[in-house]
Amino acid sequence: MKDKQFWVGSAIIAVLFLIYWVAGHPYFVTDRIVMFISIIFLSATLIFYTRAAERGEEFFLRPIPALKAVEEAVGRSTEMGRPILYVPGIQDMDQVETVAGVVVLGHVAKMTARYETSLNVPVSRSIVMKAARESCRDAYTVEGRPDMFNEDMVHYLTDDQFAYAAGVNGIMVREKPAACMYMGKFYAESLILAETGNSIGAIQIAGTASQAQIPFFVTACDYTLIGEEFFAASAYLSQKPELIGGVKGQDMIKLFVTAAIVLSTILMILFETAGVGINISDFLTIR
Amino acid sequence: MNNIKDIENIFLKIGKIDRRWIFIIIAVVVIIPLLVPIGLPIRATDTSKSVYDALENLPKGSNVLLSVEYSPSTKPENHPMTISVLRHLFRNDHKVYVTCLWPDGQFMAQDALSQVAEGEFNKVYGQDYVLLGYRPGGEAVVKGIVSNIRKLFSVDAKQTKVDEIPMMDGIKNFKDFDFLFSASAGYPGTIEWVQYASDPTGIPMSSGVTSIQVNEVMPYVQSGQMVGVLAGMPGAAEYESLIGQKGSATSGMDAQSVAHLVIVLFIVLGNISYFIDRKRSRKY
Amino acid sequence: MFWKRQVPIFIVALIGSITLFGWFIDQPNVKEFIGDDATQWFDVLASFAIILGALNLIKMQIQKVLYQKPGWQYSVIAVLGFIFAIIAGFFIKGVDDSVAEWGAHVTSDGTLFKWMFDYVFSPMSATMFSLLAFFVASASYRAFRIRNFEATLLLVSGIIIMVGRVPIGGVISSWFIMYLIVLFLGIYVNSIKKDKKVTFIFVAVGLSLVTIFGTIMGWPIDQPGIFYLPSIQEWIYYYPNVAGARAIMIGIGLGIFATSIRYILGIERSYIGE
Repeated sequence: MKDKQFWVGSAIIAVLFLIYWVAGHPYFVTDRIVMFISIIFLSATLIFYTRAAERGEEFFLRPIPALKAVEEAVGRSTEMGRPILYVPGIQDMDQVETVAGVVVLGHVAKMTARYETSLNVPVSRSIVMKAARESCRDAYTVEGRPDMFNEDMVHYLTDDQFAYAAGVNGIMVREKPAACMYMGKFYAESLILAETGNSIGAIQIAGTASQAQIPFFVTACDYTLIGEEFFAASAYLSQKPELIGGVKGQDMIKLFVTAAIVLSTILMILFETAGVGINISDFLTIR
Repeated sequence: MNNIKDIENIFLKIGKIDRRWIFIIIAVVVIIPLLVPIGLPIRATDTSKSVYDALENLPKGSNVLLSVEYSPSTKPENHPMTISVLRHLFRNDHKVYVTCLWPDGQFMAQDALSQVAEGEFNKVYGQDYVLLGYRPGGEAVVKGIVSNIRKLFSVDAKQTKVDEIPMMDGIKNFKDFDFLFSASAGYPGTIEWVQYASDPTGIPMSSGVTSIQVNEVMPYVQSGQMVGVLAGMPGAAEYESLIGQKGSATSGMDAQSVAHLVIVLFIVLGNISYFIDRKRSRKY
Repeated sequence: MFWKRQVPIFIVALIGSITLFGWFIDQPNVKEFIGDDATQWFDVLASFAIILGALNLIKMQIQKVLYQKPGWQYSVIAVLGFIFAIIAGFFIKGVDDSVAEWGAHVTSDGTLFKWMFDYVFSPMSATMFSLLAFFVASASYRAFRIRNFEATLLLVSGIIIMVGRVPIGGVISSWFIMYLIVLFLGIYVNSIKKDKKVTFIFVAVGLSLVTIFGTIMGWPIDQPGIFYLPSIQEWIYYYPNVAGARAIMIGIGLGIFATSIRYILGIERSYIGE
């Protein structure tokens, strides 16, 4: 009960919802109540741990080699005098992975500004180009090197998947970057990019939640951020307490989900074999 | 002793082979079976059979929505599926409604329809099949079809008003279809159809996907949210054999078989070289 | 700063909350907003933003040509291709209005745009995609090494999938696989015992047992099923693969959820450069 404000706030929201529910809950889709409560509960967990981190509580984050390697890769590029290639995926800003990719780009840009290494960011969507530019501009300004920022370091190639892959491959072969980073949403072009990067001897770091592409990146890259590691990258790289708290909250959510899966399995077995209890599957199915 | 060392050296050389040699060998082993087919027998897997059975058991004259979401790049994998499914549907006299979530999908759909509907079955446009065409928006299009298809598609791909198309009578939303088949190569595609259309409405669906996507789609098949899946070119070839009409997927299977075997051979050779290398480095 | 910080965060929080909680509200206007309008707004914005991208592309390519940077010759082709696509899309149809009207001309046979799609775009896309076949070969050649137990498991299941998935796997009998297993076990026995006699006896007994059992039971090519490659690959696809895929899916789902909530609540602001 350390966070009194949080508990009071939660209690007020719960009471208000109860009043609304008792009053006949107009406009509410009752079939989706399980999901609604889950979202509220999981969001509350996230907020709770974020606030705890802001208050100064320390959380342990297991080291992720791929994120440690990001700075090494920037250092290596500086030593070799070659650029860094950053690919923020092939989808638009309406995909969370692209947003996460742009967020990580901001951190990478800070490092390149610090090390005075050139950065090349070819993008496949115009909105991503604008967002990535803003992210880089701010990173260079924060690091006190606005003079090093050049709008064209983030440039548009094409919206088409394979034409984009061809364009990026061309850049790789011509400019021979010392490090290639692929952070965002990828499809079949993932292996084409990663294998070309491998052939030029670049150190390669990938991060994606595109499930089907993870094996390709694991095979062809030096380091890969898999799924949720990728989303936690911003917290690791920034070391901001509120973001680290979010990662802890995410882990707790995972614990709840695992417990729910185990409990549901037991209930389902009991229901199907002995006819005891309720059909949890019906209860959890959302239409 | 020297002989063994010589052999080991050969394996070590193979282990360090330039990857361009691998590319050449793969190209050769793919081209030869395409020119001289071996005719290996094709055995349908359970997931392909499920798709076939689901379509076969539809009552005559069912309304089937076929969504085409792939581009020319994955044509060799996806197009034979579309062709075979269309053949199966027209053979059983179903009504086929074609939509596209990808802009290039419309070209692919047009190509398949002109080959199968017009060329092989002499079906009448507007009565037996209709190409509603492409609409931008990804999952928003799927949601639109689920809520009100007429709002989203006021005209078809030929710019004909949907109200003037006879087979569109009584079609208001996704629930008016009996089955959905999605020929998909990525996003937006099969997963969006499962999440926003088939699962919430209970209308059965199936899909034909590229080999890369099978991993992603399999959980939905196992949970029963999808009725089987045609997995990549082998899936397409299996469907061709199930409907008894061979096509480009079947002819591609010999090449794929040999290519897979050659890749396995490379892996074995690579491992032998790796072991020799490890043995030698331990010695020193 | 207000326009570049507070306003974007407010928009994300407002639209994010409406989209998230709107799913639980049964009101036509809200439903229409989250189902159609919100996503269509994005599409409209993205469509206009293409102009920005196109201008940037052309600027970069022209600069390359003017300053004769490495590979400038390719930039000439890019600029010409760009101009050609615009002409085919907006200015020259290549057919009369009776054949195809403006708009419908992009998919109609005989038009310049359709020609470009069929004979330029399609083959080039297919070429890029087919590169995957070569890259898969070189990547698996390099990566599939028996380094430890997990890598061995990955290699064995990879080979089973690769061979079992294609027709050639169907003509390899269960007998053959059993003989192979006996031979591999023989190698293992030899590495432990280091006695040729023991290894020979093990292999001879193993091969004889498989042959005798097979003959007595009259096993056809696909029996017993647990040694038939297509059956094993189907099992791998259906169970271990799905188990792993689900675990990753749940992890990714939670990651997306947590990230989205962080954006909506304004905890994560790095996407606007903070």
